[in-house]
Amino acid sequence: MPDFDKLDKAIHEKGRLAIMTLLASRVSWAFQDLKAELKMSDGNLVTHLRTLHKLGFVAVTKEMRDRPQTSYALTTKGRSAFTDYLKVLEQIVKAGKE
Amino acid sequence: MNDRARAEEHLRVIRSLMERATIYRAISAPTALIGGLLAVATTFVIWWFDRSQAPGAPGLDNRLFAEIWLAILAVVLAINTFFVRQEALRDGRVLLSSGARLALRAIAPCLLIPAATTIWYFRNAEPIDQEILVAVWIAFYGLCLLATALFAPRSLVLLGWAFLLSGLLLIFWPKSFGADPRGLYPNFAMGATFGLYHLVYAVCVWASRQPDAREILAPE
Repeated sequence: MPDFDKLDKAIHEKGRLAIMTLLASRVSWAFQDLKAELKMSDGNLVTHLRTLHKLGFVAVTKEMRDRPQTSYALTTKGRSAFTDYLKVLEQIVKAGKE
Repeated sequence: MNDRARAEEHLRVIRSLMERATIYRAISAPTALIGGLLAVATTFVIWWFDRSQAPGAPGLDNRLFAEIWLAILAVVLAINTFFVRQEALRDGRVLLSSGARLALRAIAPCLLIPAATTIWYFRNAEPIDQEILVAVWIAFYGLCLLATALFAPRSLVLLGWAFLLSGLLLIFWPKSFGADPRGLYPNFAMGATFGLYHLVYAVCVWASRQPDAREILAPE
């Protein structure tokens, strides 16, 4: 029987789940856009992104345009982990219906 | 709250966040570039063909004019599908992603009037105003782009407005502002909008994408 203990704890944290969800919705996100969408402080967002980057879920790209810009994208491993996370949630919902 | 209710709540939040954040570019920059060049080239060929006709000879047949532009549309649609597929493969997404399906659902109703007008144009035995057909094509193409405004990048929305306003302008332009004995205004309108507007759009999208330098950080 699937339950919340089977969910990936790194993704399940509220802030990181929101970040993973946004990253799954587009090819990549600039730091400022993520910050504006999630209404998080710089420090909080950086901490979560660093955790996800260390786990290999998020790729970081630094670009020089008019000014330096850091953008974030899901890696294949991150996309797969997010998909697995969703599958567990769906299994919990299905199991609850039976 | 039991596990099922909690899981449903999580899924609802995830879905709503993803829907809000989806951005879908229905026209890729390479498609705009190739489509723009094709449209300008077609306009030039039609104009050149008309110039090479003997004085007093009739201009390009109404049906042939529409057939040529519909053939160009078919080519550009095939090219767009190719580029969208390439982009989807590169990013590990399916061709008909949720964004693509969302865009198709938004665009579909805006295609009904131009499709009906084109059918009416071909079925009518009498010569029909090319201006009306071209104005409908241009204006409704603009509406198609504007229908994706909620999840489209700003550049595509501006392109949509440019097409819509040009289509409206075209309805009033030719007969009110000058004679068009060779019936070339509709051809020039196609070249200016589907040609030049798309070229400007492609250049703007590319210019905004190219960074001066890029560094990808590996996981620690």
